[in-house]
Amino acid sequence: MEIGELTYFTIRCFKEVFKKPYELKEFLRQCYSMGNRSLLLVGITGFIIGLVLTLQTRPTLMEFGAVSWMPSMVGISIVREIGPMITALVCAGKIGSGIGAELGSMRVTEQIDAMEVSGTNPFKYLVVTRIMATTFMIPLLVIFGDAIALYGSYLVEHLKGDVSFALYFNQVFDSLEFGDIVPATAKSFFFGFAIGLVGCFKGYYCKKGTAGVGIAANSAVVFTSLLLFVIDFIAVFIADIFYDL
Amino acid sequence: MKNTNSQKIRLGLFVIIGTMLFVLAVYLIGQKQNMFQKTFTISAYFQNVNGLQKGNNVRYSGINIGTVKNIVMANDSTIKVDMNIEEGIIAHIKKNAIATIGSDGLVGNMIVNIVPGKGTDKVISDGDIIASYSKIGAEDILSTLSVSSENAAILTSDLIKITDAMIKGKGTLAVLLNDTIMAKELRQSVTNLKVASRDASNTISEINQIITSLKTNDNTVLGMLLHDSISGQNLKVIVSNLEASSKQIQNVIANIDTTIVDFNSSEGAYDYIVNDTTLVNSLKSTLKNINEGTDKFNQNMEALKHNFLIRGYFRKLEKQKEKEERKKQQ
Repeated sequence: MEIGELTYFTIRCFKEVFKKPYELKEFLRQCYSMGNRSLLLVGITGFIIGLVLTLQTRPTLMEFGAVSWMPSMVGISIVREIGPMITALVCAGKIGSGIGAELGSMRVTEQIDAMEVSGTNPFKYLVVTRIMATTFMIPLLVIFGDAIALYGSYLVEHLKGDVSFALYFNQVFDSLEFGDIVPATAKSFFFGFAIGLVGCFKGYYCKKGTAGVGIAANSAVVFTSLLLFVIDFIAVFIADIFYDL
Repeated sequence: MKNTNSQKIRLGLFVIIGTMLFVLAVYLIGQKQNMFQKTFTISAYFQNVNGLQKGNNVRYSGINIGTVKNIVMANDSTIKVDMNIEEGIIAHIKKNAIATIGSDGLVGNMIVNIVPGKGTDKVISDGDIIASYSKIGAEDILSTLSVSSENAAILTSDLIKITDAMIKGKGTLAVLLNDTIMAKELRQSVTNLKVASRDASNTISEINQIITSLKTNDNTVLGMLLHDSISGQNLKVIVSNLEASSKQIQNVIANIDTTIVDFNSSEGAYDYIVNDTTLVNSLKSTLKNINEGTDKFNQNMEALKHNFLIRGYFRKLEKQKEKEERKKQQ
């Protein structure tokens, strides 16, 4: 039943996107609060992931005498999978729960009902702008996250292996192909859309009471995280078919 | 909850920097694949591309100069590999360059290596086809190795059998290795052989000396034969005489042959004696009659001895005989 409601919610969202008036100011405000305010979190997470991934992989590669393959390996794993997934999960926790809690409390305090009464379309103003903002901001955050993670990896390689900046990034981009970066970017749009959609859905249809707000925020994160993995699987599956042909 | 200008600027910067990073990444990847620079295409035909794929690097003397553009089957045994090469490198590649397929490191991607050809030639141009050289692939090496290892396994198993047999003292080799008496005998044989060979060499040298002396000394038969011209002439005469004599002997023998033939074929006494059986039979009966006659004659003579008329004569003879024997004994 929930899946049916979510589908209906998605269709309504697509319909409302192209309807006037376009809530551009609200959209930009959401972009700022979701994009800029998540950058630090995403940056720190990405940096640590880059460091840890390199530190953990380095001994194994050293056993095989393949440390020179480190930039290629880390580059491909971060750009293809780890960067988008970690960023999306972090954003699901921060943005998804925020949206769920915000819209839930608005529903509980009958602000959404008040908007409907006053003639403002609450779905367009609250839901569409947020979904659009996450859809466009998550890919940008993923790019930042990737760049910072690669820089973190470079720092480890530079300190331990005395690898120059130019050599490291030359090797990274030498191993990367469009088949790595295009599907990763495409799926991060879907990640953003999923985060916004589930957060808004859970908040918009929040049950009465303060407990409902908590449940909405919590279930938004849990459901989004699950959905992210499903989307990731489908995206990898499709990319594999397209780029293997 | 109004949007402040600083928020707008921050958001703008965020979006711009994010987009720029993405564009930069796309540009760098594209540049690696020669998408944003002028390229020209050259091709090479291979029998086996060993897993080469589109987008693999092309190197000229170790420098990355392009990527593999396309790989198509030209016919059932030949593969055409098209390569995008940077235009800036065109002046350095000659038409006699040779393309080979190798791997980037031991476990790396496959790459096309273009090696400069020997001597000078014209500069390559767009669409040219260069010669190729197929190296032995890893699979071929492995298959050869597997055959070698199989052979090695068979060899080692045989060696084990041989060494086992040798340890147990079976076979000639084992006897050679283990039998100390045989070794001593062999050593003795070798010593004997040494002595024999030394003696043989001495003998040969002596024979040589004899032959030399025979050759050089005119007083010996050989020396005379070799060097004395008069004796040679004499020998020639003897030989010619011998020839003449042999001819005469031949004639004599022929005459004797004819005589014998005539003798055999004629109806003379010989033929009568040799071939006539009746004569033999009559001779036999005659001889028989003579034998019988002589027997009877002997009997008659014995009878005469005992006759009183002649008996006195025989007694005298006996007495005379006895007297002579007595004289001899005395």
